Amino acid sequence: MKKTLLCALALTLALGTALPGAAALTKGPAAGKTVKVGVIADVTGSGAVYGTMQRNAYDLANDDVKTGIIDAGGANLSFDVEDAASDPAQVVNLMQKFTTDGATPLVLGPTLSGEAFRAFPIAKAANFPVMGTSTTAEGVTAIGPTIFRDSLAESQAIPPTVARVQQTWHAKTVAIIYGDDNAFTKTDGDLFAREFQKTGASVVDTETFHIGDKDFGPALTKIASKKPDAIAIGGLFPEATQIIAQAGKLGIKAHMLGGNGLNSTQMYQTAGPASLGVVVGAAWFIGGKYTGNLEFVKRFKAKYGTTPDQFAAQAYAAAQVVASLVKAGAVTKDALLAGLRNVHVVQTVLGPIAFDQNRDVRAAPVVLKIVKGGFAYF
Amino acid sequence: MLAQQLVNGLFLGAVYALFAVGYTLVFGVLDILNLAHAAIYMIAAFTAYSLVAHGLPIGVAFAGGTILAGTVGILLDRIAFAPLRRRNAGTLVPLISSIGAAIIIGAIARGIYGIDERHFVDGGIDSPPIHIGPVTFTAVEAIIFATAIALMLVLSYVLRATTLGRNIRAVSQDRIAAALLGVNIERTIAATFFIASALGGAAGILTGLEYNSVSIDMAGSIELKGLAVIILGGMGSITGAVIGGFVIGAVETLAVAYGLSEWRDALTFGVMFVILVARPAGIFGARALRNA
Repeated sequence: MKKTLLCALALTLALGTALPGAAALTKGPAAGKTVKVGVIADVTGSGAVYGTMQRNAYDLANDDVKTGIIDAGGANLSFDVEDAASDPAQVVNLMQKFTTDGATPLVLGPTLSGEAFRAFPIAKAANFPVMGTSTTAEGVTAIGPTIFRDSLAESQAIPPTVARVQQTWHAKTVAIIYGDDNAFTKTDGDLFAREFQKTGASVVDTETFHIGDKDFGPALTKIASKKPDAIAIGGLFPEATQIIAQAGKLGIKAHMLGGNGLNSTQMYQTAGPASLGVVVGAAWFIGGKYTGNLEFVKRFKAKYGTTPDQFAAQAYAAAQVVASLVKAGAVTKDALLAGLRNVHVVQTVLGPIAFDQNRDVRAAPVVLKIVKGGFAYF
Repeated sequence: MLAQQLVNGLFLGAVYALFAVGYTLVFGVLDILNLAHAAIYMIAAFTAYSLVAHGLPIGVAFAGGTILAGTVGILLDRIAFAPLRRRNAGTLVPLISSIGAAIIIGAIARGIYGIDERHFVDGGIDSPPIHIGPVTFTAVEAIIFATAIALMLVLSYVLRATTLGRNIRAVSQDRIAAALLGVNIERTIAATFFIASALGGAAGILTGLEYNSVSIDMAGSIELKGLAVIILGGMGSITGAVIGGFVIGAVETLAVAYGLSEWRDALTFGVMFVILVARPAGIFGARALRNA
């Protein structure tokens, strides 16, 4: 009888820890303490398409801390999202406010790299821990020893992606098309050229465009005349979908691939059948079977009516990282800074992540292909 | 490749031209630059998108969006220009007034539709490619091109051969003389705004259909191009706007075709500069509407 009871107890405990969403509120060293993390996001203005996703992810994280789905060891952890309105001056004001109010031990955000270059020096001067979740430009973490990020830089995502596709495609010739008026898309263009050349492919054509362009017919006609085996796109969602759809109209059959800018579940819906098989090297997969990821996607959709994107996932993962530190007892800025420096591995919706010596995230990109209605592993 | 690029340039140029004829028509009649023309182009595309989203056929949505654009044009004149005209405010004040109107229309559209791009048909409009020799295009592109050309021909006919057209030309030549001859000036100006804005709106809807994409920022990308086209063609000249549209479309396309994609816009405006140095009044000179 006693043995049966023990077995039942063990089974319950095992199930309790294995089933996400069934987590109980645990009591850690920070139990009962209040930790209010500051978040700077572009909820309005030109960056709102990204910032809104981040705000929604933190609001969901606030719910999940309360219900124990995110385990903060019983602390009253919350994420206080302030709108930077896509205005660099407001980003600076908010960073100054958070670093000096005495109540905020850590800041997550801002949304864009350009904003980070303005705001992070303030955090550095105050020896204040900050983590970017979408600031992927080169040099962001080099601003100072208190700057971390959980977003995979393009320089981390693209090389393994090219290496992976070349195992299958064996492309001898490649054409590159990228936006030359944006640091992110230009980096993609440069990285694709360099990485394809490393695999022995030659770049037969390079075309550029500007953010907001709609007509890619001339550039694609020129690319088609060079008959490349593959076309690499350094672009964000609106331009990339047009490039893919218009390549389809022109009957271009070359393999196509892109970076994080193409990681949207709307890809197939927007670019249509021409997008089938297009490869995307990204930091996150909506269908990834990491701890809690599918549940995160489900709850996000239930709460907001739309699926989360990579911005939302990276924000939610940051909340998970902070919660793991708070659970271990870190509630002050110094303790959280020390905690971030000593993170071994945290299980997040992005998969298991850690930070390298440059405080950049250490994680592997996912190489996906577009299929009807979404993505699948390539 | 050259044949395909010329076809690409023709498709692009037709929409630039359609946008620009409305732009230049208002200038020809009133001597004012209506910088809200691009905002009307955008709002018409959103209207057509809404109608399609509510299940109406694309043809009906096109007509609906075009009529709404024309109506917004009349309202724009009544609210933003007519009061200034009555006070003889000159040409600079209406310019500022039109910028204000553009900002207000943009804010309304953002309030209704948000900042996300909208699509007429998810996954693209189903249109099989047509191959003629070395050239490939889709049926939708052909229809868009034909519609743009047809609308410009209709405009040309209206201006040349109808009473309304004669009135518009009379007002553009000499408003006082036209009034003395019995032309109802305000009604003629309202008709001008309706036609010009409807054509601008049609260009917006056709662009939206071509790329299956409607967004707030589509106004920004056509605004400067449209201005370049009408200056190049000769301010106020309908024929000039049409030719200018095709020239700019061709220059943009060929710039990319000959390996200058990063210089595309610089080259376009460079060509404009060279033509204007040679012919300061544009290809067709100033105020050619009088002789349309």
